[in-house]
Amino acid sequence: MSALPGRVGQIYVVSATLISGVVILLIIVFLFLNSWDAISQVGGGLFTLEWHPPNGKYGILSMLYGSVIVTVISLVIAVPLGIFSAIFISEILLPKYKPFVKSLLEILAGIPSIIYGLIGIAFFSVWVRDFFALQSGRTILTAGILLSIMILPTIVTLTDDALRNVPVKYREAARGLGLYNYEVIKSALLPIAKGDIIGAVLLALGRALGETMAVMLVIGSIDKIPQPVFNFLAPGQTITSKLGREIAESAFGSLHFSSMIFMGLLLLVIVLVLTVIAQLYFKKEQRLYE
Amino acid sequence: MNRRFINKLFYGSSWTAVAVCCLVLIFLLLTITWNGIKSINIEFLFTASKNFGAGGGIFYQILGTILLIIFAAIISFPIALGMAIFRSEYLKNPLLKKLVEAFIYGLNGIPSIIFGIFGLIFFVNVLNTGISWFVGSIVLGIMIIPTITLSTYQSINSIPKIYRETAQALGFNRWQVITRVLLPQGIGGAITGLLLGIARAAGETAPIMFIATAFSGVDVPHSLFDPVTALPTHILALAQQATNKQALQNGWGASLVLLCIVMIFSISGLFTRIIFKTTTER
Repeated sequence: MSALPGRVGQIYVVSATLISGVVILLIIVFLFLNSWDAISQVGGGLFTLEWHPPNGKYGILSMLYGSVIVTVISLVIAVPLGIFSAIFISEILLPKYKPFVKSLLEILAGIPSIIYGLIGIAFFSVWVRDFFALQSGRTILTAGILLSIMILPTIVTLTDDALRNVPVKYREAARGLGLYNYEVIKSALLPIAKGDIIGAVLLALGRALGETMAVMLVIGSIDKIPQPVFNFLAPGQTITSKLGREIAESAFGSLHFSSMIFMGLLLLVIVLVLTVIAQLYFKKEQRLYE
Repeated sequence: MNRRFINKLFYGSSWTAVAVCCLVLIFLLLTITWNGIKSINIEFLFTASKNFGAGGGIFYQILGTILLIIFAAIISFPIALGMAIFRSEYLKNPLLKKLVEAFIYGLNGIPSIIFGIFGLIFFVNVLNTGISWFVGSIVLGIMIIPTITLSTYQSINSIPKIYRETAQALGFNRWQVITRVLLPQGIGGAITGLLLGIARAAGETAPIMFIATAFSGVDVPHSLFDPVTALPTHILALAQQATNKQALQNGWGASLVLLCIVMIFSISGLFTRIIFKTTTER
């Protein structure tokens, strides 16, 4: 009598899981199918410097450079800041204030990226312009600073979790040896939590690469690698800002559209690989210390 | 002496890092509130926008955002719930388990703009739906599946084994154990996940900007395949004409309203997490 609902229930949960799997496959397959024109017709020309669709130039290197460099800048700022903050929250802050700080972090993480973009336009780009006496404040550096704020909560939250997962006995043993607090953290806690922290940074890296709206508004949208290469005060372009700005202008099915989709596919592959590696780091540590 | 100095230095660095983080947070919240509050009044909230957003209010943008997130929630919740139950109660094969986990974390990691592009290709062009709010809801719904699944899975999976065994000893079959024992206890996690997912969906711009929204001349959609206008895309349009003082001012107003919507959902998500935790641990 009660076998039927169980059967239906099983079908329901299996199909729900299948739907999610199919969606991921659909996304990858459709991005691949739509970038095939670019791969087959432009080929190696995709990995050149010049992007000029009317002349048939579809080089994506400037966008790739922009994405990488903006991400690197944001990590350089956010990783030390985030890890020190997490150490403070986990090891120095009194436990009773923790829920309060954690909810503040969730608020920071919850601010929509478009609002970061608006603040970036109205404040950060103006500050960068005035501070460095530039013509325009929409630069690679501005985007990097803005991104660093956006990925900060990810790093702090996950690093704090990582530190909290280290059993108390390691701290006690290290203190028992007469170590100072910083030595306990440096020599006992950080090595143990290392895997999880690397995972956290990789996830933040993935988020930074995929962030669109804020970057798109402040980066200046010029498809060029600045001269010299490390001139961060020049405008640039990332894969995401390029897609956000231009995909609506390109006709579906054209080589232009296809090249844009290829960029999206590249971004997707990079981010998925990062996500998988990050999960491997998290997993490995769990098995060792639990 | 030297060690002590380094220890002090270390404490100093930690304090500085936290101070910087707090200052940034305070700056962000104050900026949005201070600039936004000047725009907010009854008229701004309840009239249509005029003059490409530089005049009028944001009534239809608010409606559009609410419509998008309600349907995104309706679409994603059953799928996420089923997936969480499957992963927690049915999945035993370690290889399959890894695969399902890869689905969840993969879906969670996909950048939001990729969802937008996928929607543009698959729905708008291949299925030929045109710019449609319903497609926007579907894509937002897909995007928040992992948030809900992870939260639900955690709360169902953390229910002690003894509950399952007791229920089985009473003659419940697997599905009855799930519906009578596990779901009533684990539903808190599902609701928390749903609220956090909605908060995330409400603020997203990139997935909907090509496929679901039009900037001006749109009010309430009359069918599934009409465009809407939403707060995030409205802010984007206003931010791009930031040289116009009035447009920027309305952008701040819209930002504050959007932030409030997001906060309402994420804070109630945090509350349900606390409330349900205390009932199961009692």
